Amino acid sequence: MTQLFKKLSLKKTLAISVIALVGVSLSGCSPADQDLQDSTLTIYSGRNENLVQQVIDDFTAETGIAVEVRYAGGAELAAQILEEGQNSPADIFFSQDAGALGSLSKAGLLKAIPQELLDLVPSTYSAQDGNWVGISGRIRVLNYNPEKVTELPNSVFDLAGPQWQGRIGIAPTNASFQSFVTAMRVIEGEEKTLDWLKAMKTNAVLFEKNGAILEAVETGVVDAGLINHYYWYAKGKEVGMENMKSRITQFKDQDVGNLINVAGVGMVNDSASAKRFVEYLLSQSAQEYFASQTSEYPLIAGVPQVISLPALEEVPAPKIDLSDLDSLSETLDLIREAGLI
Amino acid sequence: MRRPPFLVVALSLGATLFASLPIGYLAIRFIEGLDKALDEVFRLRTLELLGNTGLLVLSVSISAFVIGFSQAWLTTRSNIRFASVFAVLAALPLAIPSYVMALGYISVFPTFSGFFASWLVLTLATSPYVFLAVTASLVRVDTAGEEVARSLGFGRLSVLRKITWPQVAPAATASVLLVALYTLSEFGAIAILRYDTFTRAIFNAYRGSFDRTAAAALAIVLLLITLLVIWLERRYRGANISSSRALGKRVRIDLGNWSWLALPILALVAALGVGLPIVSLIIWSILGGSSINWDQLLEALWGSFSLAGLAGVIIGIFATAIAFWAFRYRTKLGAFIETLSWATHALPAIVVGLALVFFGANITPWIYQTTWLLLIGYLILFLPNALAAISSPVARVPRSLEDLSQSLGTPANRTLFKIVLPIAMPGIIAGMALVSLTVLKELPATLLLRPTEVDTLATRLWTATETLSYSQAAPYAMLLIMLAGLPALALNAQARRAISEVREK
Amino acid sequence: MTLLKLSGLSKSFGDNQVLKSIDLELKSQELLAVLGASGAGKSTLLRLIAGFERPTSGSMTLNGAEISNSNKVLAPDKRNIGIVPQDAALFPHLSVSQNIGFGLSKWSTGDKAARLKHLLELVELTDFADARPESLSGGQAQRVALARALAPRPALVLMDEPFSALDAELRARLRLDIRKILLAEGATAVLVTHDQEEALSLADRVAVLRDGEIGQIGTPTDIYNSPIDIGIATFLGDSVLVEGQVVKGKISTALGLLNPMGKVLDGDQGLTAIRYENFYLLPNPGGEGEVVGQVFFGHDAVLEVKIGDLVIRARSNGPFAPEVGMRVKVWVRGSVNFYAN
Repeated sequence: MTQLFKKLSLKKTLAISVIALVGVSLSGCSPADQDLQDSTLTIYSGRNENLVQQVIDDFTAETGIAVEVRYAGGAELAAQILEEGQNSPADIFFSQDAGALGSLSKAGLLKAIPQELLDLVPSTYSAQDGNWVGISGRIRVLNYNPEKVTELPNSVFDLAGPQWQGRIGIAPTNASFQSFVTAMRVIEGEEKTLDWLKAMKTNAVLFEKNGAILEAVETGVVDAGLINHYYWYAKGKEVGMENMKSRITQFKDQDVGNLINVAGVGMVNDSASAKRFVEYLLSQSAQEYFASQTSEYPLIAGVPQVISLPALEEVPAPKIDLSDLDSLSETLDLIREAGLI
Repeated sequence: MRRPPFLVVALSLGATLFASLPIGYLAIRFIEGLDKALDEVFRLRTLELLGNTGLLVLSVSISAFVIGFSQAWLTTRSNIRFASVFAVLAALPLAIPSYVMALGYISVFPTFSGFFASWLVLTLATSPYVFLAVTASLVRVDTAGEEVARSLGFGRLSVLRKITWPQVAPAATASVLLVALYTLSEFGAIAILRYDTFTRAIFNAYRGSFDRTAAAALAIVLLLITLLVIWLERRYRGANISSSRALGKRVRIDLGNWSWLALPILALVAALGVGLPIVSLIIWSILGGSSINWDQLLEALWGSFSLAGLAGVIIGIFATAIAFWAFRYRTKLGAFIETLSWATHALPAIVVGLALVFFGANITPWIYQTTWLLLIGYLILFLPNALAAISSPVARVPRSLEDLSQSLGTPANRTLFKIVLPIAMPGIIAGMALVSLTVLKELPATLLLRPTEVDTLATRLWTATETLSYSQAAPYAMLLIMLAGLPALALNAQARRAISEVREK
Repeated sequence: MTLLKLSGLSKSFGDNQVLKSIDLELKSQELLAVLGASGAGKSTLLRLIAGFERPTSGSMTLNGAEISNSNKVLAPDKRNIGIVPQDAALFPHLSVSQNIGFGLSKWSTGDKAARLKHLLELVELTDFADARPESLSGGQAQRVALARALAPRPALVLMDEPFSALDAELRARLRLDIRKILLAEGATAVLVTHDQEEALSLADRVAVLRDGEIGQIGTPTDIYNSPIDIGIATFLGDSVLVEGQVVKGKISTALGLLNPMGKVLDGDQGLTAIRYENFYLLPNPGGEGEVVGQVFFGHDAVLEVKIGDLVIRARSNGPFAPEVGMRVKVWVRGSVNFYAN
């Protein structure tokens, strides 16, 4: 009986696989849909589906332009576009951070954003060469447990002190942390940055992602952590703001720990629909979406921020050109030298 | 000299062509930035990575071997209680993607990281490969021979070494090779647990600095390490023993008081490899309140199911062709092709993925971002998994049966399909199942090569974990484990099948 | 001199008592056959002697030293008892000479080579020294298995149905070979078999094992000629059972008055066991019997003869056997065994 069952199941496996073969060839392999693809806007999105699919659906609803989105890690998508070169099917690259956009721009794979669109956003938040434009802003914050941290540090460099040993969480492999270290390197110099990173080697508990740090601060595993501001708001939305055990704050006086970064968009193909998409992202309704749904800073004038943090122009942020944040390999060398990866 | 059938040669050469694509890609990138590439290779850091990677590969290979072999021996050859339950538990971690296992661990122990963490998680994730391979060959070993050896004055351990081991060695070393290459190419778990290996450095070269030259240089070093590992395995593998004898009677060895040591150890390994990850998944789904998007779930389920099924069958066919050529004809070329298809197995999926992006987008745009290119990616990545399972059954079919068939007037090539193929079929199907379940878990290449807007359970799981919504991730992870659990259980049943066919004493 | 002694040896698997208090003694250089139907406990007895099973009760001594009791079992590798399994079970990864030499690992190179040469000659496989097991015939494999067991000069050799996998012709030849080899080696051996012909032709003594007990033990002639009960009588050879009564020291049956073997008591009623070969048939048109069936074996034939209501079977010289339908006169030669009710 069991024998029979086993034999049957083997045959079934085969049969099912054959059915699957037919099914997939019907559903997945339709490169011949050339007509459709011409009219379809292809977006490579390094931003998470959970965060941006809604705004893309709204775009289609408003413009009638069909969209295909390819979600993956921002760096992987940048590498993919680099490999595809001139033959890339992508029209738009929507990125979490400026670095990935910068690398495509350097390789000459991005088309210029129309000036009238660049003008909508303060020039600090777009590429100097006009090849990509910022869509939403995020800042680095100190996430802390108010029961454990009574005296707030003035500068991110204070965290290097011995009183912070084992109390602080960082995510050294995360792109946003690396951008922040790049900024520190550019502003404060390699030596000081390396010293700080080495101090982190003793003081910090290492995590893979911002969200994991927040989780650790919430659960009391560490007392404080360096994260992007919107993680805290996202968690607050999930569990209710009143249930948040941790708080976020900023450092004083243009501290590099308060770095402002942006999510931005570049055009791999400057078709009309691609321009229309960039235009849509900088529209009132899309900006309101980012302000309220992803708790980021809107970048166009006239859209108010929703979060309780200081306004972007009042953030005591360091003065830095975001295009300078693409010198990541030197940063990685430093982080590695400090033994953090 | 007999000549292999055209179909066998064509499929084998096809697979070889595919397998050589990533190597060609790496060569292009390497030569393109030669000075920079050489700088990247000849750095102190390369030595450090070499040390880290070597330490991890060596330690995971050894521990996965010890654990997998012990589990197989205890559940097939001893009188330990709940043997079939422990066998299922030993096979099940195969269904759990190692990144899910790693996430499970850090969600319970947030500071779990570094060498020990990576070693533990990878050992748990890879020991089922050894367990299944050793189980399948252990049940074929005639226990009467072991008893004869005992009666000739050899203790239990010497019998294990001198009689049992030589008979399971080819399958066991092939599975350890899989473990070693798995460890070499692993990224997800290593990144989550933060241990620096070549593969992670290659990913970081892309991620951190979009530096394709540096990545290619590191990948070439990795390729050389892989060749070394393969060479070592070939050297110490030993010959497949063809045994046409009927299976002998089976006697379970009385563990006596040792069972009080063995039982808790088996239970501990099961708790670490299956219990903890699944418990943490359950905690994820309880903690989060997010509702399940059933449309997405079903779509991803179908995507995973169809891709894995298709990849399993296709890759199984290619692997069978190569095994036929390499083991039924024993030509140098066949053996070379078999080795080459192993060589690219340790390349990180991102390298294979980008190589196919490069060639696909620029040379064969008509298959770019279609299922076919993704399947070629899976073929390059997982052909060795199928080969490991299929080689032994194909090699073991007695030559005399082929001779007999030909003497009855069947031409040599027809004999291959009418005699060797059906006899080796259970092994071939096992190979297909192994590939399917590996494809189910694959992520980096799937993200790069999938048709736009086609989702699998793995890509959905990734979407959820990227934003750390574990509660949203939980149903996908559960479904993925259940789906991959089916082939894992089938493989276990297949490996242990002979046990029920043999008289119990 | 007693080599092996079993005292009250019992073995149960759960509720199933396979061996019930076995007492047995084996002298040095003796060849004992344990004869029993399948399921009688033969293999269990061998496994107990070899040390693979622990007796439930009772004990066992080899050369006067206790090797097994219900508490302590000397490990198989410490016993110096060789085994020849049912299907040879040669080590598939070793050559013929490596198989034979396997148990000689502690011997010096010179002694080992001499011993190997001697054994290969003895089993007539010198030309196959380097052959792989899978290339051997069944008979060759069994001879290798025997040589392998004999190589380290064990105190005792156990053979488990060594001929069962072979065809009849080979079986007869190998039986003689093995007898010769065992004699040449001066070995003591226990042979387990379900084939009475094998047991009777090969052994010095035969022990009949029935339902886990030794029913009878003795030389082949004793056992064959004087089975102690009907069961053993019919098990050992083809017999016709005829009811009878003792009258004046003879047995009165439907076949006339027969001479009993051993003592009988006048007036006893019971069954007489007459072996097929004890009948003598003489074709005679006035005979009381009629041949109603015939099975021809070549050298002999078994005839079915109807005498009144009784149908008997008789062995007859093959080429000269009476034909079906012929009438015959029936004699019973020699003495018969009578078992009173």
